[in-house]
Amino acid sequence: MATLCMSRLSRLRFTSGLRGFCSGSSGASGSDQPASQTPKSGFAAAFEMQSELRREAESATAGRTGPSAGQEESFASMLRRSPLMQMGPAKDKVVVGRIFHVVQDDLYIDFGGKFHCVCRQPPNSEKLQRGTRVRLRLQDLELTARFLGAQSDTTLLEAQAVMLGPIESRDARDSQARKAEGKSHEDV
Amino acid sequence: MAARALTKGLLGLRQSRTVAVGYSIAGHQYSTAAPIKAPRLQVDDVSEKLLTLPLEKPDFFRVSELFSLKDLFDARVHLGHKRGCRHRLMEPYLYGCRLDHDIIDLDQTMEHLQLALNFTAHIAYRGGIILFISRRRQFCHLIETTAKECGEYAHTRYWQGGLLTNANIQYGPGVRLPDLIVFLSTLNNVFQQHVAIRDAAKMNIPTIGMVDSNCNPSLITYPVPGNDDTPITMELYCRLFKMTINRAKDKRRQMELLHGLSPSSS
Repeated sequence: MATLCMSRLSRLRFTSGLRGFCSGSSGASGSDQPASQTPKSGFAAAFEMQSELRREAESATAGRTGPSAGQEESFASMLRRSPLMQMGPAKDKVVVGRIFHVVQDDLYIDFGGKFHCVCRQPPNSEKLQRGTRVRLRLQDLELTARFLGAQSDTTLLEAQAVMLGPIESRDARDSQARKAEGKSHEDV
Repeated sequence: MAARALTKGLLGLRQSRTVAVGYSIAGHQYSTAAPIKAPRLQVDDVSEKLLTLPLEKPDFFRVSELFSLKDLFDARVHLGHKRGCRHRLMEPYLYGCRLDHDIIDLDQTMEHLQLALNFTAHIAYRGGIILFISRRRQFCHLIETTAKECGEYAHTRYWQGGLLTNANIQYGPGVRLPDLIVFLSTLNNVFQQHVAIRDAAKMNIPTIGMVDSNCNPSLITYPVPGNDDTPITMELYCRLFKMTINRAKDKRRQMELLHGLSPSSS
């Protein structure tokens, strides 16, 4: 679930960037049409390539069915585009996790990696329940260490992360903003 | 329909036994001999055909349709342990190592998983006993419910020393041992391998094992390199095995019904 969230965010950023790019260059394409014979360079060439790519992507999603599109993507390309690889080193990266088990004071949180992490209930706020989404700052994806005389590392089968707090829902934020606006309008 | 079944049966007979009636070689001469033997041989032939027909195709139960590369990737099967935990014999199955974390090659995993599921399907088709073993306490309930749902067996508790090797004394004479053992996690704890791997090899029982990057794949008949620590991955494996076994058993019932009709009608 956490990986889906992150990949959706990255996809949104990519498409919004493209849209901004295309809308800005619509004027340029009109002026370029009579001069289509000469080889395009710089901005014009880049715009052509991007629009072709977009057309291909749209035809791919429209024409082909789900399983065949999935089969075309190789393991290498899926791995390269996965959030875990794009993230880089795990130290001090902020991710979103979901609590899947609660034992008294301990929360077992799954954030999309191989292992879960265990955090304590935050002391000030209300008790967090199973299914809550929380923000974490990762320290390590797997706690391992090589001890003296051992053949291989000893692993704790856990990740380590610091909990930053529950994710604030958009409704709560909007209602707070609306309340603030309402108050300012009243004052005026 | 009976005549068609008869000719089909005789053709099957020709393939399996070299000392045949010689039907094809000198057609007319032996045509009188065939009908005398036909009714007696037909029953054996049907059961033989039931057993040999699935072996003629490489993927008779179509297990490769049950999973795709995307499913394995989304279930985090490719994630391995850290480089320091790596077992030397798992190196051929690894795609690489990224920031000290091993990545398992999913292309190899696809092939191995297809072989393993195909083998499981054939064993289930022939009415074999399948035993699921794992010593991960986190997934013990999941594995036991999976085994119950597909009508097979699971052992997810402490393994007593002589369960396989000393079965005749511990359980009584004439105990039927499992025909296939599926290890959903081959380790007891992070240091020790499960004793049943060695015992199954001693008792000539084929094994399937999900081997992670810190496991030893040596004695396992059908190792499947893949993650064995994440709950979502274990749920995927349990679902795949359950679907394979149920599919194979349904196919067996279907084949028995199909061929069960023809001897009674003739």
